[in-house]
Amino acid sequence: MTALAAAEYKSPLKPIWCPGCGDYGVVQALYRALSAIGRAPHEIAFISGIGCSSRIPGYTTAYGFNTVHGRALPIAQGVKLANPDLLVIVAGGDGDGFSIGGGHVPHAIRRNIDITYLVMDNQVYGLTKGQLSPTSPRGLKTVTSPLGSLEAPINPLLTVLAYGAGFVAQATPADMPGMTALIEEAIRYPGFSFVNIQSPCITFGEEEQQLKAHKARMTPLASLGHDPSNQLAALDLARSYGAELHTGVFYRNPSPPPSYDTLVRQRETELQRGEPRPRTQVLEAY
Amino acid sequence: MTPVTGIDFERISLCDALDLAVLIEEEARDRYRELAEQLAVHDTPEVADFFARMARIEEHHRSELLERRQTLFGSAPSRVSRSNLFDVEAPEYEQARAFMGVRQALETVLAAEVKAYSFFCEALPRVKDPESKTLFEELRDEEVQHQSMVKAELARCPDRPDDSEAYADDPVAQ
Repeated sequence: MTALAAAEYKSPLKPIWCPGCGDYGVVQALYRALSAIGRAPHEIAFISGIGCSSRIPGYTTAYGFNTVHGRALPIAQGVKLANPDLLVIVAGGDGDGFSIGGGHVPHAIRRNIDITYLVMDNQVYGLTKGQLSPTSPRGLKTVTSPLGSLEAPINPLLTVLAYGAGFVAQATPADMPGMTALIEEAIRYPGFSFVNIQSPCITFGEEEQQLKAHKARMTPLASLGHDPSNQLAALDLARSYGAELHTGVFYRNPSPPPSYDTLVRQRETELQRGEPRPRTQVLEAY
Repeated sequence: MTPVTGIDFERISLCDALDLAVLIEEEARDRYRELAEQLAVHDTPEVADFFARMARIEEHHRSELLERRQTLFGSAPSRVSRSNLFDVEAPEYEQARAFMGVRQALETVLAAEVKAYSFFCEALPRVKDPESKTLFEELRDEEVQHQSMVKAELARCPDRPDDSEAYADDPVAQ
């Protein structure tokens, strides 16, 4: 198949994100990653929840399903199981993924369905104008925490690693080549893959969270000599989420187990080998 | 962080160098168009028009370089693609703001021209081919001219305070 240019993945719909939003860089990186992978738009499905970053499906020429708040993961799993040949990518924010959608995260990970989950983590509820989110740092003053948040933030990296995800990475639009490569690598990983993208909210985010600050403080994991096949080392590094901005692959399972969709197909094949049973016999087994 | 990846400057040919130069202008053109669209959507028409004008200027540069390339090398296949470039001369997304003024827009353009100049300065010591070297020197010097033109515009531009914060949405406790 002739490789498609990145521009082929861009829909004519103009993003309505605020000028300066980190998500513009993310979607550019997505187009480039998809171009490098070479799948046609009709072979790709973007599934999202609700939030600014969940608008991404509309800005691509792939299939897109902007679903309900926090439910992108179960729907994406259904899409993948129904059509295993589709490349399924889930996009959403920290609120969609770790607040209302938090209950779906462990199950998507433990099933190890071959989908890629991109979380645009900006530590705030941006679309709804500046409320505290599950990844907001303790002490942050927002309209829903005017005296400063009393809650410890969720650490998305540690959470996803602890649940056993086989591919976990972190990126920022401040490093476009790095982020593009990470997204591509995550998509190529044969199983559930997760990229936490620190994509600042230009309107409601804190000054120290903007891309200028990212450029000053980001530290590529490769420069620390980190071995991404070492899960314990990855967990240790992930603990510094919030304090440090580490970019790159935290963990990549060196021996990825079969994905759930692969196992389902194997099961289907095994079941089809036997003699077909009448429906009543199948029901009696239950 | 290098804005150009996958290109060996020690072995770059004149054809490759021209192709790269064309794509640098094309990338900048496309980014200015995007920023113009963003700002038009966000009720910042003066700067939207300004960025649209910048897009036309970059397209002009691109066309001139493309003509040179075609004159010298015809339809020889290109070994350089947009995937090799990351914002060489294209202004960064995070520079834009809703309700930004023309002064801020000019500063954005100046930063982009400085970036491009830096790229050519950094690449030049590695370029071995004499014709490619001459081209990169020419392009580097053009970036200096562009910077001068933008600085002259900045000097003429009234120093009004940036309006972008005045119209920013206030957070809401929902």
